[in-house]
Amino acid sequence: MSPRLLAAAGLAALALAGCSKQIIDPSRQIGSNPFLPEPKQFLFPPMGIANIVGWKAGQMPTVPAGFTIAPFASDLAGPRRVLGLPNGDVLVVESGGPGLEGINRPKDIIYGMVLGASHAAKPPANDLLLLRDTDGDGKADQKVVLASKLDSPFGIVVQGGHLYVAETGDILRWDFTPGQTSLGQPTRLTDLPKGTIDHHWTKDLTISPDGSKLYAGVGSNSNIVENGLEAEEGRAAIWEIHPEDGAKHLFATGLRNPNGLTFNPTTGELWTVVNERDELGNDLVPDYMTHVQRGAHYGWPWSYYGQHVDKRVKPENPAMVKKAIPPDYALSSHVAALGLVFENGSAFPAQYKGGAFVGEHGSWDREKPNGYQVAFVPFTNGRPSGKAQTFVGGFTDKDFTVRGRPVGLGFDAKGALLIADDGGGVIWRVTPKVAAAPPKPAG
Amino acid sequence: MSARITPRATLHGVPIHAMLVPFPIVCFIGALLTDIAYANTANVQWTNFSQWLLAFGTLFAGIAAVFGAIDFFFGSRAKGSGGGDRPLIGWIHMIANLVLFVVALFNNFVHARDGWTSVVPTGLTLSIITVLLLFVSGHLGGRLAYVHVVRRDER
Repeated sequence: MSPRLLAAAGLAALALAGCSKQIIDPSRQIGSNPFLPEPKQFLFPPMGIANIVGWKAGQMPTVPAGFTIAPFASDLAGPRRVLGLPNGDVLVVESGGPGLEGINRPKDIIYGMVLGASHAAKPPANDLLLLRDTDGDGKADQKVVLASKLDSPFGIVVQGGHLYVAETGDILRWDFTPGQTSLGQPTRLTDLPKGTIDHHWTKDLTISPDGSKLYAGVGSNSNIVENGLEAEEGRAAIWEIHPEDGAKHLFATGLRNPNGLTFNPTTGELWTVVNERDELGNDLVPDYMTHVQRGAHYGWPWSYYGQHVDKRVKPENPAMVKKAIPPDYALSSHVAALGLVFENGSAFPAQYKGGAFVGEHGSWDREKPNGYQVAFVPFTNGRPSGKAQTFVGGFTDKDFTVRGRPVGLGFDAKGALLIADDGGGVIWRVTPKVAAAPPKPAG
Repeated sequence: MSARITPRATLHGVPIHAMLVPFPIVCFIGALLTDIAYANTANVQWTNFSQWLLAFGTLFAGIAAVFGAIDFFFGSRAKGSGGGDRPLIGWIHMIANLVLFVVALFNNFVHARDGWTSVVPTGLTLSIITVLLLFVSGHLGGRLAYVHVVRRDER
């Protein structure tokens, strides 16, 4: 039986199971006080699997009036992270998971076939690329592989004469100055929790504005501790790492799958987007973005959105539930937020100043698609100050015909927004038609 | 007097149905035991055990049912009592097993949930119901085999 047929059979079984489910408007779950329905449990959880068809020639995502979008680079193999360098070069990480998860339950076989049916045209490489636009036409015309066959790389940072790449099991550091087109041998700065399962394998990375500390996001090793609590050691957390000697300690915990780590240029606080737990319904639990407080606990696995207890977790831990603080801003359920960047001295118009762009990879644990867009959240004085809105859309149709899936975001030296689209294998570049202010290099 | 049945699906004279039924019996009783172990420890290995036992139990129950139905509906009733109605307890055995199969199938999906609610309370309850139904249908199946089925040496 083909995977796609099986997925269809699964959805038919869902219909037969008669779990008629109300599905709410995602806008009710956007903002600081999201509507949280009662958790539900299923015989077959709600699902909608992306049928990735890619972009046909001339097809483009949609952008608001006053902007243009064009591919900066295409035909890439799973681009997930993008970083604009001050000299105009762009670093791109192509990556796929390590594929370590074994089959522990009959469910893993079914999920493997159903979710495995969704894949991009090109299998992901595990390479670090440098793209260069030599003639300034907004399209990369040089592509150099800086490092290849990395171990599921994800986060990248360039600062203070170094390039840092977070692989799924460690952080590598190279001597690097923007302009360089080759790398020497890396130093293994420190290891990161990988282990033998590595369920959420994307290790994102950022550095404090003064360059004194690195921060790495480490996602949980399960949906909701179905691999046992002992598999979650050091996970669902953000680590603080010394960039010189690699010494590290936990910075914040209870963050199920934190990605898009970045510092808010207005407040100097660390922000992240977090993917919340699945299989509690179409509309639970909202993914979110939040500033991350040192030593704070955000709930996972024992509770969500503050102190809403998850009954699936035993033994209970009332002490940790009591400690859990709610995040700042809900992005609605199952959007799979993986990228976050703050506008900072870009060429964008005034209403975008200081706001956040969120790369939403798109849902699977929901009957109707949610996410599959780059959202914009306006900020005032370093705090969200309005409803998230679609900034770049057109990645999916209502029937899960998916052309692309946004992941990582960044601004380039000319102040244009770059979007890594691992479904379409494209780096998109969004520019305002008329630059509002003289562009400054991205911070 | 109802009919005595001569099984049709046999291997060297042994009904295939009879060879298969121990699999679901052992698997479903095993799943109840591992469910009880999980409910007492919250150690995920026990719910994982339950999920495999339920999956294999349901699979073999389905295969055994096919051969049982072949014997029941197509087995010869000519010998022994010379035709007549199929035994009433055969019908009850079949219906009890169909209910058991549906309950076990649902239990597979309940057990596929992540964590504690894969077992407590619904999964464990369904496992208890499955084993209780096993006692009923197993006893009826035994009576069918020893009272109503024509043995090889009688043929």
